[in-house]
Parts: sequence; C-alpha cells; structure tokens
Amino acid sequence: MQLYAIIRRSGFSSGPDLEAAAARSTRVADDQLPNDIRWIRSYVLSEQDGTLGTLCIYEASSPEAIREHARCAELPVDEIVSIVDTVVVRPDPAPVA
Amino acid sequence: MRGPLLEREQDLAVLEDELRAVERARRGRIVLITGEPGIGKSALVEEFCRRVAGAARVLRGACDALETPRAAGPILDVAAQTGGELAKLANEGAPAVALISPLLRELRRPTVVVLEDLHWADGSTLDTVRLLARRLTDVPALIVATYRDQLERSHPLLVTIGELPPGSARRISPRPLSATAVGELGELGVEQAERIHVVTGGNPFFVTELLAGAGDTLPAAVRDAVLARVARLSPHARRLLDAVAISPQQTELWLLAELAGSDLAHLEECVAAGMLQQAAATVSFRHELAREAIIATLPGDRMLSLHAAALVQLETRSPGPAPARLAHHAVALGDAAAVLRYAPAAGDRAAAAGAHREAAAHYASALGFGEALPELVRCELYEKRSYECYLTSQFDEAIRARRAALGGHAAAGRRLHEGDAHRWLSRLCWYVGDNASAETEAHAAVELLAALPAGHEFAMALSNVAQLRALSGDVDGARDWGGRAIELAQQLGDEDTLIHALTNVGTAEFDVGDPAGEPKLRRSLDLALAGGFHEHAARAYTNLGCELFIAGRRREAAEIFALGIGYCVEQDLGSWEIYMTSWQARLALEQGDFEAAERAAQMVLARGASAPSRISALVVVALLRARRGDPDPSRPLDEAAALAKATGERQRIEPVQMAQRELRWLAGEDDGFLPEPQLGEPSPYWAALDQLRSGEPALMREAHAQLLSLGATAAARRAAAQLREAGLTGVPRGPRPAARANAAALTGREQEVLELLGQGLRNAEIAALLVLSERTVAHHVAAIMSKLDARSRTEAVIKAATLGIGAR
Repeated sequence: MQLYAIIRRSGFSSGPDLEAAAARSTRVADDQLPNDIRWIRSYVLSEQDGTLGTLCIYEASSPEAIREHARCAELPVDEIVSIVDTVVVRPDPAPVA
Repeated sequence: MRGPLLEREQDLAVLEDELRAVERARRGRIVLITGEPGIGKSALVEEFCRRVAGAARVLRGACDALETPRAAGPILDVAAQTGGELAKLANEGAPAVALISPLLRELRRPTVVVLEDLHWADGSTLDTVRLLARRLTDVPALIVATYRDQLERSHPLLVTIGELPPGSARRISPRPLSATAVGELGELGVEQAERIHVVTGGNPFFVTELLAGAGDTLPAAVRDAVLARVARLSPHARRLLDAVAISPQQTELWLLAELAGSDLAHLEECVAAGMLQQAAATVSFRHELAREAIIATLPGDRMLSLHAAALVQLETRSPGPAPARLAHHAVALGDAAAVLRYAPAAGDRAAAAGAHREAAAHYASALGFGEALPELVRCELYEKRSYECYLTSQFDEAIRARRAALGGHAAAGRRLHEGDAHRWLSRLCWYVGDNASAETEAHAAVELLAALPAGHEFAMALSNVAQLRALSGDVDGARDWGGRAIELAQQLGDEDTLIHALTNVGTAEFDVGDPAGEPKLRRSLDLALAGGFHEHAARAYTNLGCELFIAGRRREAAEIFALGIGYCVEQDLGSWEIYMTSWQARLALEQGDFEAAERAAQMVLARGASAPSRISALVVVALLRARRGDPDPSRPLDEAAALAKATGERQRIEPVQMAQRELRWLAGEDDGFLPEPQLGEPSPYWAALDQLRSGEPALMREAHAQLLSLGATAAARRAAAQLREAGLTGVPRGPRPAARANAAALTGREQEVLELLGQGLRNAEIAALLVLSERTVAHHVAAIMSKLDARSRTEAVIKAATLGIGAR
C-alpha cells in the first residue's frame, strides 16, 4: 500500500451532497475494495464558485485502485499525487463550528 | 477472521425499511431470517445492529445448541440487558408467560429484539415468541429472528411460525455469495474464484474459512463444523453420508440402495440436518466442502470398499455411465487397469466437449499410471495433455508434457513424431516469450522432417517457421516459408495446415500494407469457422483484429475482437480470449474510453496472461497513468520493456518504445516529440495531439479542451505549456518560472489589489485601504482571477507568486 493525495475540485454542491459522497466512499472502500483502499482523512475545500472540493489522503494499492474506487463511489478525481513522506507539525485544529 | 459483508445491501435495506415502518406506525413487526448454516444470518444481524445502534435500542438473545436447552434462554438474555422489573422477575425464576407484560413495557420505545438460532429453542421460548407476536401491535419493536431452513417437517418451530399473525412477519433468506463476491473477498482471479465458488456453494462461512486456510487443504474450522453436525446424526445416517460422499456429483438412488442398503431410509434425517439434498432420483451434498470433510475422515478400508462397489455397479450398468465417473472411482481405488481404461476416454470426451481444463486433468490421471501403458500410447497421452494445457494457458505444464513426448519418440526412433514435437515446442516456447528457443525448435523440426516423405507434419513445420517470421515482421520470410507450406498443404489436401499458413502469410502481408493480405486472412477465418478448427479460428480472429487496429480501422477491429472473444469464451479458449482482451484494452485507450481500457487491462493482468498479453496490458496501464497524470507510470512500463525485450519481436517492442517516448513528452522531458499523424479513422487523443502540432492558435486551444475532456490531464498540461510558449494566453498555467512578471497583463490597480489579497485581506478591508467601493474591489478580484485562470483567491495569489507578479 502506498499513500496518495487525491484532489477533487468543486466535486460537491453542498454539505449534504458531500456527506452522501462520504458515505458512498466509505461503503465502496470497506465493502468492495477492502484490500486496495483505505481512506485516511480529508480536508474540505471552499471553492470560489460556492461549491466544495476535497483534498483526500488515501492509502491504496495502486492509482488504478483509486480510480476504481472513485468510479464506484461516483467521486471526481482531478489529480492523484504520491506521498513520499509525512511531516506532522501539530495535530489538525478542531473544525470551525 | 471475518471478511467484509458482501452482497447483503438488499437484505439490510429490507431490515432498515421494516424498522422505519415500525417507528412510523408505532406497531411491531417480525423479520425472519432463514438459511442454511454458514449462509451469514448472524453476520447480517450483526451489521444491521451496528447500523441502527444509536437510533434504536438493541436487545439480543440466543438459543443454544445444548442437548437440553435453557428454558426461555433468549428471553432471559434480553431480561439481563433491560434490568428493572423484567430482570427481577426473570431472576426470581418466574414462568416465561409472566415475563410477557414487563417485556412489552420495555418495548414502548423503539427497540430491535434479536432472537438467534430459534431452531434450537425450547418450548417455553417458542410460547413466549407466540404470545409476544400477538401483542406486538401496540409497541414500536422489531423482532428479528434467525433460524435454519430445511427443518424436519415436525419441528415445533414450524408450528410457531405457522401461527404468527398474518401480515406481521416478513422473511429474508440471504443468498449464497456470487463468484464475483468470492473473488473480491479473496482478491482472486476469475478462475480461482469460480473454483472456490463451486466447492463452497457460495456459503460465506465456507468461503471465508477456505480463504483463511490459504490453499487447497480443507480448513480445520470447516471440517470441525461439518463433523460437529455429523456427530448429532444416527449411525445409519452417518453411514449413508459415507456412501454419498464417494461421488463428487449426484448419486442416483438406485446406486445408493446398492451401496447403503437399509441406511437409505435415513435420507430425510440427513436432508433435515442440512447435509444432503435430493433432486428427483439423485442425492448430493449441499456443500462440496462438507463432502470433502466426510471423505477426509472416512477410514481407508471403508472408502476402498465403497469405491470398489460403486465401480462394479457402474461398470455393469447399461447404458454405461460417463467414463469420467468410472475414472473417478478407479483413481480413488488406485486400480491402474481401470484408470487406464476410463481416464483417457474421459479426457477425449471432455476435450471434444470443449472442457479443456478437465481434459488436461483426466490425461494427467491416466499418466499417473502411465508406466503400465505401452510406450507409444504413453507418448500420445503426453501429447494430448500438452495440447489441452496449451489451450488453457498452462504453458509450463504444456512444455513439460511435450518434452516427455519428444523424449519418448526420439528414443524409439519415431522421426516423424519427433519432428512434430519440435514444432510444437517451438510454438509453446514462443508463448512464454522465449523466442530464441522457439527459433531453435522450429528449425530442428524442419531439418528432421525434410528428410522424410513430405506430409502434414512437414507442412506444419514450414508454416510454423512462416508464423515466427510473420511475428517478427519479416514479410519476405513469411511469404517464402508460408508459400511452401500452402503449396504442400494444397497438394496433400491438408486443410488444417492450409488455414494455418494462410493466416501467417495474410497477417504478414496485411501488416506491410500489401492488399493481398486481408483477403487471405478473411479466407482462413472462413475456412476455420466452416471446418470447426477452433484454434485456427481464434488465431485468425486475433490477427485480423490486430491488423485492422494497426491500419487505423478501429471500428472494424472492435467488431472483430468482440466476435472473436465471444467465440473463444464459447470454445473455452482462454489464452486467445485474454490476448484479444489485451488488444481491446489498447483499442479502448486509443478511442479515448479510459475506463473501458482500464477494466480490460486489469482483467488481463488478473488472469495471469502469457507474455504478449501482459505486455499490452502493462503498456495500457502505463499510458493511462501517464496521460491522466497519475503517479508511477514508468513502473508497469519497465516490466513491459523487460518482457518485450525477451521476445525480441518488433510488434511487442515498438509499442513499449512508443509509450516510453510519450511518457517522456508528457513529463516535459522531450519537447521535440510530437506524434506522427495516425493512420485511418481519427482517434480523439491523437487527433488532439495533431492539432497541437499544427501551431494554429484556435486548433491548439481546441486540442487543449479536448484533452481535458478526455481526462488526459497530463497531456492537457503539456498542451497548455505549448500554448504559452507560443505566446498565447487564456489557458491554465502551470508553474513555469520562465514566464515573465506581469505576463498576465494585470493593470496597476489589479496588482495593488493582488498584493493585498496576498496579505490575506478581505474585500471590505482592501476597499478601505485603497479608498474604493467594495463592489469595485470585487470586480478587480474577479478580473485578477480570470487573467490568472485561478479558481479561488488563494490560487490567484499562489499563481501570481510563481509567476513573480504581485510580490514586489
């Protein structure tokens, strides 16, 4: 397994849309591709056009596994980048309410 | 170990619907989950409880498989979870009926009550269930009960269920897993998944245990589970199981009567225990794994006597049963004479029926006793096994068997057979990518056979050389050798060789654009289909499809591949099917259907393909990654390059080299490379690259948009870079330090706004600082973003910084 960053620009119209996508994503990853995909975490991006995007960190067996997961869970993929190292300076701050 | 829960979404949806209905109507309902042991009743309940936890209270009780079950066991379990009055009464040992009212009071808030394994319930549990069901109308409770189906007709649970209020209960029967789910669970290839699917009947418990057991041996957990069930049966029933277990498929009742005698009267007991199933006049195990568990514990002498009795009965039966059945008992008995009487015939019959994998296995059985055979017969069996292995992609086994045959023929001085074996080895070596050995064997065959009277074998040896020449792109060599083969085949009236040679020459000619090639190839396809030469037909389909593809006639190629793959699936010609699928992957890639290309390529890689198929699939994976800008495109390509080099064939090496150049171009390392105009029908990807090369601004912009819409992100990035190099703006920028300050043509005011944006100021703050209206600032921000092709304020600042603008 290898760590990847996946950028999904303006993929979601609203919060509920994003939540539904997250549920699909978890289901597909856990049920259909449990040995190929592990969702680690995501940052939700506020896009200029009012939509939401995400920057997701996944562990995956290959870029194809990420594409397959995105296809099954109906998620957009703009870019997949290999992560070679992780530098944690401090934990993620608590989300703004 | 428990794997993920697969193919249960529908069942879970029913449960969730029922719970919603209960909550909405505040009226209780019952869901009965039934099925054989191991089908996943508990796993389904478990998942449902996990999903509803928080939304509803969950109370769980289970019956136990004791000789004498606890009185009202599951109700006591539930009471222990509620506490209060119900628990107090239960602890005091109150009769089950006295627990109903306090239990109903507990159910006034939304509750799921799980009662597991009701087939083991004692009488007082069943009484409680019956009473509870009648008074369920007033409480928002969902009762979820699980039990095994196939109960004996007089089982008390069946009476209880028959008395449930009409319309109050719904039944769910979880289905066996599909072969696809089995494959997903174990990360298996199609064939392996299907094999496990067959022996387990898709029973999730058996599947999981078999996967966890890693290998072909029967996992201890399965054996224990089966034997525990068997231990509850009467001695007669157990003896009956033994008699059924010695046959892998159905056993006829007449045969069982002979083998089991009066024990046959205990058939219903075995069916009720979920061990056996009866269909018309035959009996079989419900699960192959259960049968194997019985076999594994069957004492040797009993097993031998049962097999011997079965063999005698079946041999004297008229009409005689299939040789495969007789061979099975003969192999189990180790009766060499009987094995050699039936296994070769079983192999021949399987081969004729297109069951090539089974045929190969039957020949292997016979060869296990091959020492008793005349030497020539043994060699012929090796040849048959080699051929069947070859047809089913078991190339190493095919080579081993063919070498054994070659050794035998050579030792006995059978020059004709020896020569033919060399020709076959040549073909097999080519398949595994060992082209050097393929050449050596090919010429050994020609040399040997040239000294003998000209016949079919010599004609095929000539045609084989023609094939190798064609594959390495030597059209003159192919014409020369192939021409000799065609001439001889026509003299001999040898249609087999004629088709083979026509395919070779036709392919070589088509490949260099000689118009004589295509008709030859189509003629050989027609001849092969009409004459029932399955393998020749598969090869003709393949070569025709490939040549059409190379000639840029992609629509026709797609049609031929679809027909050819369908034909190969029907004829069980796995290696050809996989090879054509690898070309389908390339075709889909060229046509811009990235998803189809990826699916086809992954299928080829998952099925353990021969070198040529694997090379194509790896190239497709590499190009997909590279065009999309996904990580690691060179890893699959490096593997493809190594495989291609070993074949030494231009048709394998060239696509790899083309892909390597494209990867360099996409990575921005080789600005000089732009694709040659493609032959034939335009493919959207290459058409876009052609437009890019035109230097026409409008066409280049169009190309950029087209590449983006294809999902070829990395190619679009390169296109954008070339547009910028041509001095054209209005396309997204990458981080190109070469671009000079203010290449984006920002006005002075816009630059001021940009600087403040970079300091993280909001529009209102910028407006105050620059003494502008907030609206005007918003207008400037929009203009900045448009000129920088940024989608957000942050992106604009970052892009400006990389361009050296705005950071004065």
